[in-house]
Amino acid sequence: MSTVAECVVAFIFGSVVGLLVQRSRFCNTAALRDAIMFKSYRNTKALLVAMMILTMAFTTFMTLGAGHPLEFDVGFNQFIGLFLFGIGMVLAGACTVSTWVKTGEGNLGALWALIFTFIGMFLFSVLWSWNYWPPAPASMTGDPNLAALQLGFANARTLQDKLGIPALAFGLVQTAVLYSIYRAIRRRELAQQARHERTAAEHRSDNARDTATIAARKAA
Amino acid sequence: MEFFRKTLDPTVALVAIAVLEIFLFLLIGAWTVGGGETMMTGLMAKAILGDELERLPFWTLVFPVQVDYWKIYVSLGMLFGAIVGAVASKEFYLRIPRRLSEWVLITLGGLLMGIGIRIAFVCNVSTFFGLTPEMNLGGYLAISGIVAGAWVGSLIYKRILEG
Repeated sequence: MSTVAECVVAFIFGSVVGLLVQRSRFCNTAALRDAIMFKSYRNTKALLVAMMILTMAFTTFMTLGAGHPLEFDVGFNQFIGLFLFGIGMVLAGACTVSTWVKTGEGNLGALWALIFTFIGMFLFSVLWSWNYWPPAPASMTGDPNLAALQLGFANARTLQDKLGIPALAFGLVQTAVLYSIYRAIRRRELAQQARHERTAAEHRSDNARDTATIAARKAA
Repeated sequence: MEFFRKTLDPTVALVAIAVLEIFLFLLIGAWTVGGGETMMTGLMAKAILGDELERLPFWTLVFPVQVDYWKIYVSLGMLFGAIVGAVASKEFYLRIPRRLSEWVLITLGGLLMGIGIRIAFVCNVSTFFGLTPEMNLGGYLAISGIVAGAWVGSLIYKRILEG
């Protein structure tokens, strides 16, 4: 596919995503923050369902040798970087997707977060140019390099190559794990709902008793 | 049109996005945002600093600045789609954070997101919609990191909210 065609496909995909995210109010930050702070799982469930579909599809195509999986080494920098990102997205109230989408809705706070994301990236480029860490994808070897906190390259396809088991089999296991998390969330939601209904029923019966008492006093 | 009058169920939206992303994965690669944002940073820095930018090896070794990098257009597309959605549903209006503390939090949050993405070489989107579905070990490390970070961020946010 030509570079221009890639850019056109990417723009069409991005446009549909932007539209769907704007209309659904989906937010990756909310998927984690609301679950942690408010025990609300609307976005978390959506994220899990998407991950289940993608796991099945990607591992199926990886079994067949199709698709374009991300190819760079695994390292502890991924934990450190996403840890900082996780703090940042909660403080900013938006992730990479919602900064763009909220900016498109006229949210100047989201635009400000986006500008400072760019500034953060530029500051990091200055730091990287000084110490060259973490290793750039171009210099990754695929093998563990503990001095640079790198563990090598591993995904469903490499597991298939090493163990002779289709990547899809690993995908099925991961999908089952994701589904069990989804089920646990649904059970928790149902328990919450039952608690709310019980409390509401108790309030209703208390109110009815009070009304009857008042009516009885008036009659007396 | 009904689509622009009612809020869409996020699960329905994410199922549609996941199905579309399968085609993207087959054609060019999984959905990602951080790479495109980095390239945009490079393009903006190049516009301001010119050839001076090449004194920073990051922009020659890791992200040689190029305008035809497909990941840029995913982000621009999201902005375009969101504008269309917001205008069509009459939800486009200027929203400005009112308190200074909000601006400070957003500034800090933005900086941490930018630095975090580059340290990790991945963003939240490639973590949840790329690396992990591909069962890349980095996806599990990144998810552990983002969940721990969101928890710490929530504690900070709660403390600020409670004054």
